[in-house]
Amino acid sequence: MNAATKFFTSVKLAIVLLIVIILASVLGTLIPQDRSPQEYAARYGQMSGLMMRLQLTRLYHSLWYMALLLFFGANILVCTLIRLSPKLKKSLKPTVLSDAAGLMSLKTSGRFKKPGTVEDWRGSVRQELRSRHYKLREQTLKDRTCFLARKKTLGWFGSDVVHLGLLIILAGGLLSGAAGFRDYLPLREGQTLPAPRSDFGIRLDKFETELYPQGSVKAWKSTLSVVENGRDVLTKVVAVNHPLAYKGLNFYQSSYGWDWNNPEVELWVKKKSDPAYLEKRKLHPGEKTGLPDGLELRVERFVPDFIIGQDRQVESRSEQSNNPAARVGLTKGSETLFGGWVFANYPDFTGMHSGGRADFTVELKDVQAPQYSVLEAAKDPGADVIWLGCVLIMAGLFLAFYWPPREIKVVLEVSQGKTDIAAGGLTSKSREAFEAEFQDFLASLRRNT
Amino acid sequence: MNESSMFLAALVLYVLAAIFYFAFQFSRKKNWAGIGFGLALVGLIAHTAALLIRTFKSGHAPFTNMYESLSFLAWASVLAYLIMVRKFKIPRAGAYFMLIVIALVALASSPAMPKEITPLVPALQSYWLWLHVSVTLLGEAFFAVAFITSLMYLRAAAKEKKGGQPATPSARLDSISYRCVAVGFPLFTLGGLVLGMVWAYKAWGTYWSWDPKEVWSLVTWFVFALYLHTRIVMGWKGRRSALIALIGFLAALFTYFGVNYLLAGLHSYA
Repeated sequence: MNAATKFFTSVKLAIVLLIVIILASVLGTLIPQDRSPQEYAARYGQMSGLMMRLQLTRLYHSLWYMALLLFFGANILVCTLIRLSPKLKKSLKPTVLSDAAGLMSLKTSGRFKKPGTVEDWRGSVRQELRSRHYKLREQTLKDRTCFLARKKTLGWFGSDVVHLGLLIILAGGLLSGAAGFRDYLPLREGQTLPAPRSDFGIRLDKFETELYPQGSVKAWKSTLSVVENGRDVLTKVVAVNHPLAYKGLNFYQSSYGWDWNNPEVELWVKKKSDPAYLEKRKLHPGEKTGLPDGLELRVERFVPDFIIGQDRQVESRSEQSNNPAARVGLTKGSETLFGGWVFANYPDFTGMHSGGRADFTVELKDVQAPQYSVLEAAKDPGADVIWLGCVLIMAGLFLAFYWPPREIKVVLEVSQGKTDIAAGGLTSKSREAFEAEFQDFLASLRRNT
Repeated sequence: MNESSMFLAALVLYVLAAIFYFAFQFSRKKNWAGIGFGLALVGLIAHTAALLIRTFKSGHAPFTNMYESLSFLAWASVLAYLIMVRKFKIPRAGAYFMLIVIALVALASSPAMPKEITPLVPALQSYWLWLHVSVTLLGEAFFAVAFITSLMYLRAAAKEKKGGQPATPSARLDSISYRCVAVGFPLFTLGGLVLGMVWAYKAWGTYWSWDPKEVWSLVTWFVFALYLHTRIVMGWKGRRSALIALIGFLAALFTYFGVNYLLAGLHSYA
């Protein structure tokens, strides 16, 4: 291996990459992401252009950040594979042969000499190790028998399983990015919209906002029906935390709003000369209604958030009812008694209507718009891959931290008509517990005379 | 018996525990550490009662606002501390550790934290709230213990360098720090990342959206991954290991606390 390959496949590189990814990720939380160029210009001045070119303003979706993650993934893969094959060999084709002197050099070891043949002792060793759930391998030379006993050997592979999980999560993320999509469906009650990239439709049967007694929102609930080939297939109430899943698509309660295209406007007509005169009417924009004495009241237009735009035209600044206004007309025959804009929030504002001649006034008392519900339709084929990765990571962490492999080697040898028994143990974690088990094993073996 | 009196009782008991632990530190009377441990344990029981009362009163998990989650983090930290101190016999950690706990509880009881029970917003109405937050904070509590033992390591190592003999040898503190991370890391992975992703997918339709809190959880995770790899593969131990554990806990603290105040402030610009 030359120096470059060595560096690319080294844990050192992984550590360097880890530090770089940490710093880059932190940077992305210090710079507000995905804002408008104007906002960056105001915030960072001349730096803003450079920052946007370096994609620091959409850092987590930038090519360089993704390249960094992929490079890290490649490094993990290589490092894991390089370490995997010796581990597999050690696990599947271990060397069973050992000698007493070698075993005695281990930290955990013991040796004694007892009467009896190697043959007899072989049985006892087998039994004692098996009763402690060790898996045995043995090899006999002419006057020596070697045992290799192991348990929890899966623990050797804990870190590999974690790394595999990480790679799978990375792949899942790529899959989500490449094949996933999301779309927003604004639905009025009774309305059906086709589900994106599918062959069925979604109908909103009912939308309600539940409130707590204190007035804050308890729940938004959309009753949705799946319509396929003109038939209702299933109906479910969707709320935050309770999406509807159908044919690989998930429908989430995302937001809601009011449909200001067809609100119900409540108007009160009053007469300056007669305080007792009051006519209340509820109308939709474009509708008209008759009042006593041959009067006619109509609503020509409605906006929820009145503003005069740049071209001196009336428009709505937002879809919120911040400044509801209606253009109304009160006529008798061809004579206009009152006409122009009236405002719910400013009933006394007279600047936008002509009503001086007659003594009628029109007030905008209330507006009711049908609510619509916004459903997020999303398909994410990467999600299941991510969950698999998560399970592997958790399983791997468990194996790595709490499934420590244990190994006990025993050598039986004929020595002056007796049997010389030497044993040594190896483990990487929870040494005290292993030491106790090992000493217990030795003690029970000793009693087997 | 109400929540605030139980909470106050817990605070008082934690302060008393700290006093006894400090007295132990200076006088070396062994049973004073034992009294400190007992007071912390009784404090934990009172604290548990406070959390239970709040849960029954509100009908939801006791970590839906800053006051509640600070209180829960303090509770989890005391629990983690009592477990570790029992297992590893390191009464000297008590004095330092109770200071962290008192800081958390005092912060929770500060007037800046609204304490009234508010009904849950729709996004929080889920059993995932229980799973995600409790497991994450428990993981962070073990990082807090590792933070203290790492600080103790640095002191002990400095003392040994000068030829002194600290009450707990530095090598032992180093290995206890590792054991704390070995508990905290899987818990944080499960609670902070895995369960968080599952819940996000259920509530928002996406398991990951690079929101600052998510990024900082990942950063915390990476810092502890760094801790484990430098330690296990590259054989770093002692000072450098302790420093990474310190940074890791600070990152966890920032994820939990700083993101809400500092970054939200930064991000609410304009």
